Amino acid sequence: MEPLTWTGSLDFLNPIFIALIFICAALVAAYMVASVFAPEAQTTVNPDGTLSVSPSLLTLVTSALKYGFLAIITVLLAYLIGGMFLGLNAGIIGAMSQQFVPVWISLVVLFVLSITYKRRLGLYGKLFDSTVGMIGFALVMFWVFTGLFGAFDMIVTHDALTQVSGMKNKVPGTPMRGADEGDFPYYLLGGDNLARDVFSRMVKGCLIVVLIAPLATLFAFMVGITLGLPAGYYGGRLDTILSFTANLILAFPVILLFYLLVTPEIRATGLPQYMASILFIFPLVFLTVLLNSRFYTQPGFRTPLLIAVLGMGGWIYLSLISEVGSKVHVIPGFADLFDLDGGILTVFVSVVFVNSPTVFRIVRGLTMDIKTRDYVAAAQTRGEGAWYIMLWEILPNARGPLIVDFCLRIGYATILLGTLGFFGLGLEPESPNWGNTINEGRKLLSIYLHPAIVPALSLLSLVLGLNLLADGLREESLKD
Amino acid sequence: MTKTEYDGPILEIDQLSISFFTRLREIPAVMDFSVAVQPGEAVGLVGESGCGKSTVALGVMQDLGKNGRIVGGSIKFKGRDLGQMSMEELRDIRGSEIAMIYQEPMASLNPAMKIGKQLMEVPMIHQGMDEKAAYDRALQVVTDVKLPDPKRMLDSYPHQLSGGQQQRIVIAMALMSEPALLILDEPTTALDVTVEAAVVELVKELGKKYGTSMLFISHNLGLVLETCDRLCVMYSGEAVETGSIADVFDKMQHPYTQALFRSIPLPGADKNTHPLKAIPGNFPLPHERPQGCNFGPRCDYFEAGRCDADAIQMEPIEGDDRHWSRCLKFREIDWDAPIDVIDQKAKAEIGDVVLKMDNLKKYYEVAANALFGGGNTKVVKANETLSFEARESETLAIVGESGCGKSTFAKVLMGLETATDGQIILDNRNIESTAIESRDTETVSDIQMVFQNPFDTLNPSMTVGRQIIRALEIFGVGASEAERKERMLKLLDLVKLPRAFADRMPRQLSGGQKQRVGIARAFAGDARIVVADEPVSALDVSVQAAVTDLLMEIQREHKTTLLFISHDLSIVRYLSDRVMVMYLGHVVELGSTEQVFAPPYHPYTEALLSAVPIADTSIEKQHIVLEGDIPSAMNPPPGCPFQTRCRWKSEVPGGLCEKEVPPVRQMEAGHQVKCHLADDILARMEPVIKVAAE
Repeated sequence: MEPLTWTGSLDFLNPIFIALIFICAALVAAYMVASVFAPEAQTTVNPDGTLSVSPSLLTLVTSALKYGFLAIITVLLAYLIGGMFLGLNAGIIGAMSQQFVPVWISLVVLFVLSITYKRRLGLYGKLFDSTVGMIGFALVMFWVFTGLFGAFDMIVTHDALTQVSGMKNKVPGTPMRGADEGDFPYYLLGGDNLARDVFSRMVKGCLIVVLIAPLATLFAFMVGITLGLPAGYYGGRLDTILSFTANLILAFPVILLFYLLVTPEIRATGLPQYMASILFIFPLVFLTVLLNSRFYTQPGFRTPLLIAVLGMGGWIYLSLISEVGSKVHVIPGFADLFDLDGGILTVFVSVVFVNSPTVFRIVRGLTMDIKTRDYVAAAQTRGEGAWYIMLWEILPNARGPLIVDFCLRIGYATILLGTLGFFGLGLEPESPNWGNTINEGRKLLSIYLHPAIVPALSLLSLVLGLNLLADGLREESLKD
Repeated sequence: MTKTEYDGPILEIDQLSISFFTRLREIPAVMDFSVAVQPGEAVGLVGESGCGKSTVALGVMQDLGKNGRIVGGSIKFKGRDLGQMSMEELRDIRGSEIAMIYQEPMASLNPAMKIGKQLMEVPMIHQGMDEKAAYDRALQVVTDVKLPDPKRMLDSYPHQLSGGQQQRIVIAMALMSEPALLILDEPTTALDVTVEAAVVELVKELGKKYGTSMLFISHNLGLVLETCDRLCVMYSGEAVETGSIADVFDKMQHPYTQALFRSIPLPGADKNTHPLKAIPGNFPLPHERPQGCNFGPRCDYFEAGRCDADAIQMEPIEGDDRHWSRCLKFREIDWDAPIDVIDQKAKAEIGDVVLKMDNLKKYYEVAANALFGGGNTKVVKANETLSFEARESETLAIVGESGCGKSTFAKVLMGLETATDGQIILDNRNIESTAIESRDTETVSDIQMVFQNPFDTLNPSMTVGRQIIRALEIFGVGASEAERKERMLKLLDLVKLPRAFADRMPRQLSGGQKQRVGIARAFAGDARIVVADEPVSALDVSVQAAVTDLLMEIQREHKTTLLFISHDLSIVRYLSDRVMVMYLGHVVELGSTEQVFAPPYHPYTEALLSAVPIADTSIEKQHIVLEGDIPSAMNPPPGCPFQTRCRWKSEVPGGLCEKEVPPVRQMEAGHQVKCHLADDILARMEPVIKVAAE
């Protein structure tokens, strides 16, 4: 079989695409020059209330640039949509686009639904007013869907761990040697150092990232909020001590900390597990205080609610931290709901541990600002408890900056996961997560680029998406 | 740049229309607005928030931002159309020929630059002056705005000055290049009354001295009366009436102007016999303006089919000097008709003493080092020997400027802080050292508070109904959720809000409506004592009257004791039974409203009365301007707290004022004054406010 080219039968689009890229680059340069020298555009108001801009060089360049970008996007879409139908005939890109069909369908459904009902969806709906936010959201959701469908073996073309003889370090589009009847006939993005399919590994590795990064960030937020609220609200010595501790953790070199945590000797002492037992208790405390402060005036409702929440939460908590045969073994094996792999636990603990001090500082600052508001004074003068004020009067009004920071922080956590994987910390070496894959690909980077560049670009686009999403959210939350 | 000689009107705005363009629609902010400012003339621009007065000022500066645009008319400055000028020409004019003074002085000064440098920049940029000459000019202007020790001032940073001093610096900066036109956008709103009086005095004086024309933007009619020659009343983007001060104040020819004057408490208004008349309805949103007359739906003289037909033009009033009105019916309305007195209310019976304060003291210790404690501790005496009684269904006004200790007093009463010494007795129980956590529910629900800032008083992320229900839950009212809901709806009825508001978020409510919800929340547990901390000062004039009346009505029904904290003596005179004047933590005067508002005064009360602007041309006021600023409570002067600013100090022999805190002296029944002045001097005092003979 012939190796696949990148665009296959759609290659008549290639010259157009390249030409458009050059034209746009030239236009950008022209725009830069024009914005310095060309006279400003005069806007005038028509009697019917519309605005009109008198044509000038600058407006001309600007609109040309706009159409140029639109053309580029159109060509890109043509590649993808053409590929969806032509499949292998449209080369590597077409084949990939066909593999991603479930993701495309989910994205289109999600966007159509969200845009239709955007006025009823609060801040989430407002996101669809901002182009930047929509692009970011689309990038993020692309990887989320990829991770989800990948978990059900839907997008992958091969098993992520199987090695196929003769496929070692093969370039993208190489036909699979000795493919059976049901096998996918190509390694779309080539083979890695151990002759595994790079495309499938990228898809499989996605799940770990889109699962752990948001969860770890959520836990970091719980810890940061539970400590930051009282520090900001009470101030004084409590604040001094907590802030000092936070600074201490922030000042500690992160990578060194990770190395320490994953050293077998330290793991044998159970330190990561002890840290997990402390860090994971915060969400439980947070939930309990949140519900109790709100419903303590109605004991009949409060008590069953708290018993249910504490029971479930406690069980999950104990299952999480306890592991048969390790240092922390508090509940018997049959009651243990799930066993978290020791490596993942370590990664999780590390990410939570280094992120929570920053969250703590943000929450503390916001609390100090909001506690001076009159509605907080009103709550105080009707004798509300301190935790009610913190969790129900202050926290909801600090949500704007916190949501934005949450998105940004998932991005940092993603990079952190990549870093950890790159250093081979935490997860087992054959794990397809992006950090590990980049590290392995790095060794032969000067000869074979593709095993490293694919996960690297994936990581880049996900983090870029998260940052754009955060930008969009910030922009929209500031508008009324 | 050389300044051109020109002898026409300095500023001529002709049929100006300004719109803001948003994603959804065009929002017209100013429509068909015309005004002319002659050389040396001060023109006031009055209106409620959102009426477009600041937009006019920004339009003159050609600084409307990205989505604001002039859609019609012209603005001519010294005969040249500002709209036709290039950016360079505008840059030359701004700051040198037209200067603007904003509301917040701290925001107008660069905090990282010394005052002197900031002042010197102006002539150095606009006139190319050398540094030495610019310094001399700065020094002279700072002397002109009457700041003490000008050399030191020039060498200090903005944060080292008080609010009043900062505003003087901003004025000095505006005057550095001797502009032909000065635009003042609410220049004194952020300042205390006595400081405001001094700044207004200064602006007036400088206007005369430099011959500057002024465009004075304010919501306060009294202030405009004191500063301006002519005024222009704006409503919902339009000028509705313009004319000379005397014409508009005494011979108003527009229903809105009339309604505005009827809703502000002037001397003579009284909560029982002459209640204020609030303007019904709400201010229309800019994109929901009615057809025809904007004021139509709220107007008493509205005539369907005529007033709501076409856009209405300004028409001159015969016989007056440049007096115009935007009303179709002004010739038909009988402007002298007496206000049809709505319903006179019986004065509420004052009952027994419910709250008694005895020698209450509150000191704060401020430690120099937070981490390890110790070090130098400083004592701030926030409240000093506070004694008074408050009775059932009585309104006791607590008057004073910022830093006088009224907020601390409220905190101690509410239990957010505990007293250092003395007693607070509520129904024969001492509560001065019981913090709010250890108070029983009944005590907590008995003493409640209404807050100052309507935009801050409600939690923005909880529905209105939920917030009231929460208060009911805390006060243990109602056995079930359904009962509480019912009670919450009744409370909304009480404050005259539609029941549908229960499901609204606070951001969907106007300021006045929010304040009503705040009042409903305070009365959730049938409060007997309500501390109202400037409840109406942040509201627009027309809404103030409605909210004040609501408070009075609920008080009459529930026999509530109202502790009304305010700095606005007009409203205090209107609604309170007794008045307590505070200065730097001391009660300087306490007595019934008539006693406090008539001589003999405490010297501070006298100055305060003189400082409050009154929007009535028939009032003659004595002019008393206090020198300097309020001393810091961290570092109070020795002896009498007021001695640093008192104009009667020389009348007390032996420098007693600087040595001893004066004793509390009983004047008549229930009237007490804390002053060293001898009886005969006090008796000699003249009334500050006199109604001129008609």
